[in-house]
Amino acid sequence: MTASEIAGVFARVGNLTFGGGAATTAALQREMLVRRKWLDEGAYALCYVLSRITPGTNLFAFCTAAGWLMRRWTGALTALLAASVPCCLVVWLTTAGFDAIRENSSIQAAVAGAMAASVGILLGSFWSLVRPHLTRRKWPRSMTIVCASGVLSLAAGMPPLAVFAVAAAAGLVWKEPVEE
Amino acid sequence: MSSFSGLAALPVLRDDFVVQRRLVTDRDLNTSVVIGRITPGPKGLYIVSLGYYAGGFPGAAAAWLALITPALLVIPLLAFASRRAREPRVRQVLNTLVLASAGVSLSATFPLALDAVRGPWTLAIAVLSLVVLVIAEAGTIWVVAGGATTCLLLFWTRVATF
Repeated sequence: MTASEIAGVFARVGNLTFGGGAATTAALQREMLVRRKWLDEGAYALCYVLSRITPGTNLFAFCTAAGWLMRRWTGALTALLAASVPCCLVVWLTTAGFDAIRENSSIQAAVAGAMAASVGILLGSFWSLVRPHLTRRKWPRSMTIVCASGVLSLAAGMPPLAVFAVAAAAGLVWKEPVEE
Repeated sequence: MSSFSGLAALPVLRDDFVVQRRLVTDRDLNTSVVIGRITPGPKGLYIVSLGYYAGGFPGAAAAWLALITPALLVIPLLAFASRRAREPRVRQVLNTLVLASAGVSLSATFPLALDAVRGPWTLAIAVLSLVVLVIAEAGTIWVVAGGATTCLLLFWTRVATF
């Protein structure tokens, strides 16, 4: 993939997805892993986990990591700038004209639709991450890990970093079933 | 640099900008958080809005720089980790982390869904978006654009309000 292709994907997906960093990461996952196959699952997991333990905005760390894996410094800086500059400009402009925007019902309606779509994107990302691990032998282990992570995160309020630490420990001791 | 997600820095920023230096008011801070939620990208972008309230465009630009520079720290971590990523045990851990990230991602969907799905139309958009993504493998941009356009048309034709 070229630097301009990387810039195009990160600029479009990173700056047109609503719902926060999780929704944008999910959208980028679909583009890079499922549609364009720029990264494989292991590379995606590495980027996702390392971005969670990097200080600051997880999404920008994720973009930097993914860009690095694709084209080293060129990819990292391209992805980071493409994902950050346009949306920061939007925030700047929105702040400057906030009172006018807040009163605009059409903009509110469009944002409501975009955020509803982001829920679908997040669920789609979940499915594409989990599906390869739902083979006949693997699904009990896979679903246990997914459910436990979800419960620890949502019900127990454990921060993602702590959930990943527990999952990493489980991954070390609980062997993956081997396919026949 | 002291936090691992955008909103976690909020108390620190309030103490600095509102309490200690009085550069912005609580109202500006709250408005910044709202702007971070209604604009595309991460919610942490409220910091750029806060920078604008504190110092105009130069303040916003400084906030942008402060947001992106810690992201570069992921590179040495990646260089270290990727050398070991092919080892079988490391791959097993990575596969487990993929599943854990799916669980964490699903848990992040709940608060977003509670906020975004407020009636039958937004529920229908969320479900249709999932179907279109999974079955038709449509690009996410088109899904977002479709959702925004649908709600806009529903609003303009007075079928629904949002």
